[in-house]
Amino acid sequence: MSGAPPNHGCEDAVRRLDAYLANQLETADRREVSRHLETCALCTAELSARRRVREQLQSAVRATQAPPGLEAKVRSVVRSRAASPRTGLWAVAAAAAVIVCIGLAGLWRARSDPEETILRKASGRLAAVLSVGLRDHLQCAVFRKYSKEPVPDSQMAAELGPRFAGLAPLIQAKLPAGFRIIQGHQCSAGGRSYTHLIVSGGGKLVSVILTRRLPGEAFGGGIHQAGVDRFQVVGFDAQGYLAYVVSDVDPGESLQWAANLAPTLREYLDAHAG
Amino acid sequence: MFSKPPRTDEFERAALPHLNDLYRTAARLLGDSARAEDAVQETYLQAWKSFDRFEAGTNCRAWLFKILVHTVFHQRRKWFHWRAVKESEEILEQTAAEPAPVPERMAAEEILRALDGLPADYRAAVVLADVEEFSYKEIAGILHVPIGTVMSRLSRGRKLLRERLSGLARSYGIGRAGEEGSA
Repeated sequence: MSGAPPNHGCEDAVRRLDAYLANQLETADRREVSRHLETCALCTAELSARRRVREQLQSAVRATQAPPGLEAKVRSVVRSRAASPRTGLWAVAAAAAVIVCIGLAGLWRARSDPEETILRKASGRLAAVLSVGLRDHLQCAVFRKYSKEPVPDSQMAAELGPRFAGLAPLIQAKLPAGFRIIQGHQCSAGGRSYTHLIVSGGGKLVSVILTRRLPGEAFGGGIHQAGVDRFQVVGFDAQGYLAYVVSDVDPGESLQWAANLAPTLREYLDAHAG
Repeated sequence: MFSKPPRTDEFERAALPHLNDLYRTAARLLGDSARAEDAVQETYLQAWKSFDRFEAGTNCRAWLFKILVHTVFHQRRKWFHWRAVKESEEILEQTAAEPAPVPERMAAEEILRALDGLPADYRAAVVLADVEEFSYKEIAGILHVPIGTVMSRLSRGRKLLRERLSGLARSYGIGRAGEEGSA
């Protein structure tokens, strides 16, 4: 929608394009949008771009098929239930299950608190772009209960996926003595995806994190650092990604880590573009 | 106790044709095929139990999806990675800029990854509207929220999805390079 002065009514039309595509506009609104589209090439182009996204989304999601045995399983579950109607005992079991669920929900809330507290502190002191890396470290490395035992290389390679499997040995080679990668995987936190290496040594925990840059996100060159609570967050741009080293090592050391790892990360991403 | 004949045949005729649609939606909402399978089985079990309250001629598909969503949202409370969605939405909205064009053709896998990365509430609304093609009013019933909430989730969810797909376009080198770093 750039490059030409907007036609009268574009804003109204664009706002309603998705509902127009989904066939969810009232007749009068629909007619209005259609009329606008007849005279506006920009909005017509936007409409066809959105239609394309919608169609591709549909075919991507619809390609997922239920596993072949599922229908038979459902039939047998329903038929066995039909043959033995719910008993008093079952109702007691259901009530007990509800109580267990409530208990679990309480536990879950209690566990989420420290993470949220740290992130709240971060929001005032860190640029949003640094919080992106901190969030994953907190959620995935700090507050999730990982076994402290390193996972086997083959498992790490599988969990990192073909694109990033080769990164772990390169990073391992750059680590200070006494540190090693204990986990490497793809994960998600707060609705975005991360490639995550968890490094441990001498009682310290360090995350090396990559996440695809969203439009408008960037450090704008250089290495950026901030401290929140006991954590040090260091971030920099690496090709299409935001890269982070998040840790509880001291600030100078933390910066040194990032400076050591940045060239390796950038070279790797260069070689594995896509 | 056996005054009514068993209605399993009727139930299966009405409900089973929707199994595949329920499964693919569960897979997107839960991000895991084993849990999607469990959710679908649980949905049919719950549906069967309340089938006597289901009125023939009303929308069986929407009724099943409502039970599915209820089941999924129950399941997902137990899962760690659904937390902190609210704050990330704010971060995402602060940082989102004008998107680059969406590329002509993307791998299904990339589209699913972008979709799966959306906050759960937005993802549910987008899948129900744009893939399963329920009306906004039906979605309000399925998600048990006011229609205004459906519309706002859809608008934010679709916008985020487009932005992420255009992020992909950039990483493919399709977007306009001059815009990079302008924020």
